[in-house]
Amino acid sequence: MRLKVRKVRPIFQIVSLFLFFCLFISTEPRGEDEIRYPVKIFLEFDPFIALNVIFANRSFSGISYFFVFTLFVTVFLGRVFCGWVCPLGFINDLVAKVKSRGNNRERGWFRIKYFVLTSIFAASIFSLQISGYFDPLSLLVRSLTISIYPSLVLVLDRFVDLFYSSQFLKPFADYLYTFLKLTLLPLRTPKFSQSFFVGSLFLLILFLNMVEKRFWCKYICPLGALLGIFSFFPLIRRSISEDCVSCGKCELNCAGGLKVKRGKWYVSECIECFECEDACQFNAIRNGVSGKKEGVDLKKRHLLLSFFFGGLSVPLIRINPLYGERYFHPRLIRPPGSVEEWEFLRRCVRCGECMKVCPTGGLQPALLEAGLEGMWTPILVPRIGYCEFKCTMCGQVCPSSAIRKLSSKEKEGTKIGLAIIDKSRCIPYAFGRPCIVCEEVCPTPKKAIWFEEKEVIDREGKILKVKQPRVDPDLCVGCGICEAKCPILGAPAIFVINVQESRSDKKRIFF
Amino acid sequence: MKRRDFLKTAFLGVITFALNKVDSFGSSPSLYPDLVVAKGERPCMLVRSAILALGGMSRFISRGDVVVIKPNIGWDRTPEMAANTNPDVVAELIGLCYEAGAKLVKVFDRSVNDPRRCYVQSGIEKAATSAGGKVIYPDDRKFKRVDIRGETLKSWEISTDVLEADKVINVPIAKHHSLAGLTMSIKNWMGVMGGFRGLIHQRLDDSLADLAAFIRPALTVLDATRVLVRGGPQGGDLRNVVKMDTIIAGVDQVAVDAYGATLFGIRPEDIGHIKKAAMRGVGKMDIDRMRIRRLSPK
Repeated sequence: MRLKVRKVRPIFQIVSLFLFFCLFISTEPRGEDEIRYPVKIFLEFDPFIALNVIFANRSFSGISYFFVFTLFVTVFLGRVFCGWVCPLGFINDLVAKVKSRGNNRERGWFRIKYFVLTSIFAASIFSLQISGYFDPLSLLVRSLTISIYPSLVLVLDRFVDLFYSSQFLKPFADYLYTFLKLTLLPLRTPKFSQSFFVGSLFLLILFLNMVEKRFWCKYICPLGALLGIFSFFPLIRRSISEDCVSCGKCELNCAGGLKVKRGKWYVSECIECFECEDACQFNAIRNGVSGKKEGVDLKKRHLLLSFFFGGLSVPLIRINPLYGERYFHPRLIRPPGSVEEWEFLRRCVRCGECMKVCPTGGLQPALLEAGLEGMWTPILVPRIGYCEFKCTMCGQVCPSSAIRKLSSKEKEGTKIGLAIIDKSRCIPYAFGRPCIVCEEVCPTPKKAIWFEEKEVIDREGKILKVKQPRVDPDLCVGCGICEAKCPILGAPAIFVINVQESRSDKKRIFF
Repeated sequence: MKRRDFLKTAFLGVITFALNKVDSFGSSPSLYPDLVVAKGERPCMLVRSAILALGGMSRFISRGDVVVIKPNIGWDRTPEMAANTNPDVVAELIGLCYEAGAKLVKVFDRSVNDPRRCYVQSGIEKAATSAGGKVIYPDDRKFKRVDIRGETLKSWEISTDVLEADKVINVPIAKHHSLAGLTMSIKNWMGVMGGFRGLIHQRLDDSLADLAAFIRPALTVLDATRVLVRGGPQGGDLRNVVKMDTIIAGVDQVAVDAYGATLFGIRPEDIGHIKKAAMRGVGKMDIDRMRIRRLSPK
């Protein structure tokens, strides 16, 4: 009795998913300066986002070369990544188990992913890099970060609340919860402005497994398509002997959704799961060294069409006054160390790791602040959470160097914006009462917020002394802690806009 | 602590004890000094001898007590920046509490910056944990709105760890503060407040006096080993840090702050919250009428 591959493969998948989760959990600020094992290690093996970033920037800089390893393995072993490693693929496998029985049918749809791939690469060639929206790893990290993980934490939070209401269970809950918070859970419940949106798309992908097992992998995933194309010299090939009785069991189980019996072996669709061989009662299917591989028959017309579709989307998206030099979204505050905006958009793969690791939770997914193409890129919303002066986490976890890794010295001099005081709301100016919270929390060694002691009169004519805050534009780094802590609830009297940012030469008011 | 260190400390403690002729057995509390001002190089020695001069930790902590030690861990700064309480001072106090028979010593502050960074970068998490203390991260669930019965601050969310503790020890650091003038013991209570603390800045002095009247610590130990004389409360520039190698300990938090103010060359009555707290009868600020014991343990 030979070893059934279907027994071995899940072990690899479990290990891979476990590793992925470990890295995901460890991508958490714990008070140290360095983050040791960020989940970007996983993303660095992803050739799809790497190649798109390289194409869009026409440069190899800032990209790890680990992705070459994945391509190299694929050339000789086919899409083993999809079948054995990909965490999203495994999650799809698991969800598909809910379905009562397979209704695999070969649809021509599997060609769609090649058109998706072509369009995205075409856009990248013309400088619009949107690979992150479709890349399975990026998608998984983003969905977990922005939606799934925060939801789980929230549920747990409420659960612990129940325990807290009981005097008897409280110490136990306290102990357990403290332990969890310092290990598996974040210290504060993460909250993101587009949780529902991002989460729904992820759940939709999972739900599509009800239509067909691994629907996403078969029909949409551009990384799968890329790896399919790279399966040049598969060492293991499938062949079918004369013993085949066309019972069709293999087809029910094929993870690639192909007509297996007597059909052609499309190497680019095979994820090396060996389900067909395991399923065959007559040992008619062999995965060995002999066998004939077939390429997918893609019509040139369709490929050209998708290329033009991808290419034409670039001007369509770019015809937008938002990209002007004087007209831009003033609240598009990028994390410290971000490269110049155009390059930033070409580099960012929308994985959301920076948002996961931001200790104050201020990094949020953008909606349209950076145009349509900037959706889900990180922006700092100071009122939600400011940029911690000495923290350099976001740059440490960025897989594509959209945010550079800064030394703490560099970080202290990096400006991401400028604080603006609204005198009509600021307490010492508008109400003639003391406050100066902004000055107190201003973190620069020589404070960027200083104050002038002014005499004001109250309505009885009594002279009072108040400290009125002022901002020194040479020192302000735009971290936004002043905005975060300003006592004017709802509409802070001091707020940050993205002028004066270090990465841009154009948005300077003061030289 | 290594055994040699312990023996050395114990020995020096006994010497100090003898030299100061403090009899902690059977004497009435009025025999103790109002304040102890200890000067010297080693923070842990300063703490130990100062507490001893006040009558030993067993005067404040009973066997089986749950103790909360409240240092200043407000900022994401390293110890030499003098924005947070000296970790050695905190660790020494924890040790003394356990020696006096405390059941559990918790260390807690509601930081202004990210608590994880503050706890780690201040060195307090490490020092406190290795001294056997339990470091507690702030959690919204653990703040309960209570009646402060103050003149300005009527009610506020206060840490339940502090409310439920048998004894509370205040361990602030002495710093310059842009709005309050100075921040020492009284101002340190802002770290047990929940909610949006920015809202009390419009009537800061009154609110602080109310808070100090509400929370009565068993003991106050003011850390003035390194002192931020400008650019407080957050600092970040070593040029503003002065090494004063001083610890001030006492039962009366107002008295401690009053003496602390003199370190900066400021009269206590010029600091609004000290004056208001004294007027409200929280403590005394008349330094001339205090019995102050000065020590300089080596």
